Amino acid sequence: MSRRYDSRTTIFSPEGRLYQVEYAQEAISQAGTAIGILTTEGVVLACEKKITSKLLDNDGTAEKLYIINDSMIAAVAGMTSDASILVNNARVYGQQYLKTYNESVPCEMLIKKICDIKQGYTQHGGLRPFGVSFIYAGYDDRYEFQLFTSNPSGNYSGWKATSIGANNSAAQTLLKKDYKDDLTLKQGCELAIKILSKTMDSSNLNSEKVEFATLSKGKDGKIIRKIWSDKDIDLLIKETGVLDAKDDE
Amino acid sequence: MSGYDSALSIFSPDGHVFQVEYASEAVKRGTCAVGVKGKECVVLGCEKRTTLKLQDPRITPSKICKIDKHALLAFAGLNADARILVDKARVEAQSHRLTLEDSVTIEYLTKYIAGVQQKYTQSGGVRPFGIATIIAGFDSNDTVPKLYQTEPSGVYNAWKAHAIGRSSKTVKEFLEKNYVDELSDEETIKLTVKSLLEVVQTGAKNIEISVLKAGDVIKQLTVDEIKTYVDEIESEKAAEAEKKKPKSKD
Amino acid sequence: MDVVLGIRLKDCTLIATSKSVTRGISVLKEDDDKTRILNEHNLIAFTGEAGDTVQFAEYIQANIQLYSMRENDIELSPKATASFVRNQLATSLRTRKPYQVNVLIGGFDTKTGKPTLNYIDYIGTQAILPYAAHGYAAFYCMSLLDKHYRPEMELNDGLKLLEMSIKELQTRMPMDFKGVIVKVIDKEGIRKIDV
Repeated sequence: MSRRYDSRTTIFSPEGRLYQVEYAQEAISQAGTAIGILTTEGVVLACEKKITSKLLDNDGTAEKLYIINDSMIAAVAGMTSDASILVNNARVYGQQYLKTYNESVPCEMLIKKICDIKQGYTQHGGLRPFGVSFIYAGYDDRYEFQLFTSNPSGNYSGWKATSIGANNSAAQTLLKKDYKDDLTLKQGCELAIKILSKTMDSSNLNSEKVEFATLSKGKDGKIIRKIWSDKDIDLLIKETGVLDAKDDE
Repeated sequence: MSGYDSALSIFSPDGHVFQVEYASEAVKRGTCAVGVKGKECVVLGCEKRTTLKLQDPRITPSKICKIDKHALLAFAGLNADARILVDKARVEAQSHRLTLEDSVTIEYLTKYIAGVQQKYTQSGGVRPFGIATIIAGFDSNDTVPKLYQTEPSGVYNAWKAHAIGRSSKTVKEFLEKNYVDELSDEETIKLTVKSLLEVVQTGAKNIEISVLKAGDVIKQLTVDEIKTYVDEIESEKAAEAEKKKPKSKD
Repeated sequence: MDVVLGIRLKDCTLIATSKSVTRGISVLKEDDDKTRILNEHNLIAFTGEAGDTVQFAEYIQANIQLYSMRENDIELSPKATASFVRNQLATSLRTRKPYQVNVLIGGFDTKTGKPTLNYIDYIGTQAILPYAAHGYAAFYCMSLLDKHYRPEMELNDGLKLLEMSIKELQTRMPMDFKGVIVKVIDKEGIRKIDV
């Protein structure tokens, strides 16, 4: 009976640490970078795509950006397979909440829910923790536009700008330097591209290596979730001028 | 690794349950939380990590959680674990109201939380909760302040004043030295702040204080309010140091 | 034969519930309160099968309170509260023994600054209405309310209209419902009004 459980669950180390969780976090710090920036007009999410191949024939859907519900998008760093389980949970919960309360779920509540699932895998069941971190872009009438991150331990926090995955400390430093409280959505997009271009290994940035999404408010007050097409991304890269290697600031 | 610390909760030959002891280490790595009982109030205080420049100040989960209208819980240890335990406590508090018409007594609540923590030290395939809690509040129709503490092992105790988490030993020693019975509200808050200042160097912005009074009154102090206490304490300390100086010269 | 009546006014919602508890041909109690406070700005008034009513209302109350605790005192809006209650009744309807409870939810939406009145019956019908009643009260009062109700009414006019309705019930209804308890929900919260 107990055999089923006690094989290898997450347990405390003598210093009171959870190594399994820390290893999961370690794995994520090698995954493609994801950046989130909160602006006055919306939220920007940008990710680095690690696997690129000419033979890859996906239908244009992003692999690291997920629409959760009418007012939330998530970006993923880590094991995409794990992520899709959690994203599915998030989507179901979002709709369940909508069904019960006839209102869209408050961002923090949904994130808390996902984090509770993540926490569960660090405490029982005999399974490994989830190997994913998320950046969530969301909107609700409590705090309007919001930006969150969550990690395998089941912790979450709110940010003005943040990054997860490879080179996240470098990205964080750049964000700290260049972030301003009064950014417009456009400036936010440009900043995201600029930072990605600096943190990514490849010198030649293009839509094949980047995924991009924005959450903003339309003229009618509706929330617009946009996962950018390759064309739009290339245009943005061109406009930003990061390829010209010279820093315009 | 002797093998007695890998399978979840079993006794080692010398009578230790290692996982529980290691969980207590996780508590010590958490930020400090303090609870002090006054004559008519209970005060909870905790050390708050500095919000980073890019962190969104609107959405920083607090370490002092409301369990019910009359009860607060402060914790030290793993945040995510605490969220789960706090939620269980909240559900129990409401369910108690539903079945018994009365709100939970603080002792009942403590017993419940400690019970959950204990269960996680003695069930298959789970690790203990890596948190210690301080529970404060008032029972219904009563004006006696209550203060309890629970540990990962499921042990619980009632205290006049107590501290958990990082450097809690220093704080406890300070409280032992300085606590007196029948403190007024002001004095209780001041003692709480003062005890926290033993381990928090950065002052008011890294301290969080909540005050509970009988009749479901819960007040969270603002940074400015805390700052006045910090300033007062600091000027007192300075004055004391000043007083000592000429004496030592003599 | 309980009376449950609600009127939405300009800045508040009025809820009146009869004070009698009857069983068969006897009056058991004459100071009953058929409402429960859900949160600071939401009140549920109920009628229906004895026993079911209180059980259901208190279950809802506990859940709404739990929501407030979990969300750090951010309370559920009247619209969300009503949807939740409707959902519970609709779920219960599809079980072996459904709750036979009809409710009114008086609320004040602190976000929009508007009072609301929600009508929900045991089948799961939900409607946002300017005035509403359950049971016999509906038969006697609707015509009066149809004629005299104005959306811009202040509290005093509302109370007068309520008084008219109660008087009509007292004259026309065959039984004594022992008067009503009146509660007001406005931006300050919920309070009882002596009439």
